[in-house]
Amino acid sequence: MASADKPINTDVPEKDVFALHFLQSLSNLRRQNAFNSPDDTTNNRVKKIKKAAYVSMARAAGGTNRLWSRALLRRAAKENNKVVIFSRRKKRVTWLRRSNRRDPVDAERLRNLLPGGGAMETSKLMEETAHYIKCLSMQVKVMQCLVDGLSAK
Amino acid sequence: MLESLVSLESMSLSSMDVSVLERLKWLQQQQQQQQQQQQQQVLSSTNASPELLQFHGTNNDELLQNTFSHFQMLRSGFGPNYSMGFGPSHEPMDGCISRTNSCQMDQADTVGVMLKNSEENIAFSLKSKRKSEVKTRAEEKTEKKIKVEAETESNMKVKSNLSNTEASSETSKQTSKGASEIQKLDYIHVRARRGQATDRHSLAERARREKISKKMKYLQDLVPGCNKVTGRAGMLDEIINYVQSLQRQVEFLSMKLAVLNPELELAMEDLSVKQFQAYFTNLPVLVASKPSLMVDAPLFPLDQQGSLDLSVINPNQATSIEAPSASWETQSQSLYNTSSLGFQY
Repeated sequence: MASADKPINTDVPEKDVFALHFLQSLSNLRRQNAFNSPDDTTNNRVKKIKKAAYVSMARAAGGTNRLWSRALLRRAAKENNKVVIFSRRKKRVTWLRRSNRRDPVDAERLRNLLPGGGAMETSKLMEETAHYIKCLSMQVKVMQCLVDGLSAK
Repeated sequence: MLESLVSLESMSLSSMDVSVLERLKWLQQQQQQQQQQQQQQVLSSTNASPELLQFHGTNNDELLQNTFSHFQMLRSGFGPNYSMGFGPSHEPMDGCISRTNSCQMDQADTVGVMLKNSEENIAFSLKSKRKSEVKTRAEEKTEKKIKVEAETESNMKVKSNLSNTEASSETSKQTSKGASEIQKLDYIHVRARRGQATDRHSLAERARREKISKKMKYLQDLVPGCNKVTGRAGMLDEIINYVQSLQRQVEFLSMKLAVLNPELELAMEDLSVKQFQAYFTNLPVLVASKPSLMVDAPLFPLDQQGSLDLSVINPNQATSIEAPSASWETQSQSLYNTSSLGFQY
């Protein structure tokens, strides 16, 4: 199981994949007329954009292969009262394991930060954090480019 | 049989380094004889002990020596992986053997150390083993073609795994344990650190902890500025801060985007062609990842319009362009992609 898994796979796709997904989600937002007047405050818009950003990031980078992306998508779908179905390729993370194997290092704050972090083993948590960090930085770059492109006009 | 070995070891324990060498050689020969009697196996004992000792010298690990002796007996299926060589000289090995020479041999301990439930231990150790380290060490040695028993194969894995976990600690070990353990092939030999428990749980804990620390090292490379901090807690704090800062950045940028909302909508109406231009001028690296999405005819005028805008946008963001010529080519491809992107909506 943990045999010689030295090259921990945290590959993240290219920037344009992120860009593509983000723009797709933004245009979806626009199509839903979410940006019209009913949004009295900018807060709602901000929240929607933020959610769109996270969801697109999860889809672009993790898909359903990553625990954090799964948890993110599930959370987002729950807010929309939708149900997300994930095909289970791997075995279910046993909660038994989770209760047994956490004793010395309890990275509780990290678990709170990472979506879906509460249900992982500590070692798995580290992997997911690494991938999450990479995806987040990529998403930040994408959004920064978008902002620069828009504000430059 | 065991007692004879014990007595022999106790005799030789009082002597100097070289005698330990000889003792081990003798033990090896004994073991070989026994094996030939019992299991009709052929041990190249002459090769075994020097290799063992050299191996011991290079790695300062008695368990590895022990495992290696078993490995010779056990291995069949690991052929090309475990190749040996008579590399190092005897001198460093002597040094380390002398260090271990002072350890007392305790017969009771060795028995206590041996775990008799091979099945469970195999399962347990197989989970936590680190084959790669074993391989890197084993590559120094020559290959041994020796008949293998089914369970002893996994025994070897267990021992190599445990040896890995203990080699990293580099504490003093007991040579005597290795000597007497060579005899018993049925058991899984666990080499524990001095004063540490040898039960399965603590070993599993140790292996798990090392896995976690390995992953934290990987994270350390990822997070900028984590090199200065040492220790798990500090690194964890750094990682948490970094993740929090990234999330805050996302929120901040989404606020900015919300402010720029009208321009965003305008851009959206253009089927995001211009946006992609804005992207691509900032992202000189473009992978033409979707060749299948070719341009559609009605969008062609848009492409032209987009290309016009390109000329406008490009100078504005020329600072971020590293290879302008390349970006032009990529942009044309990207235009195709983005134009079809509109149709995906």
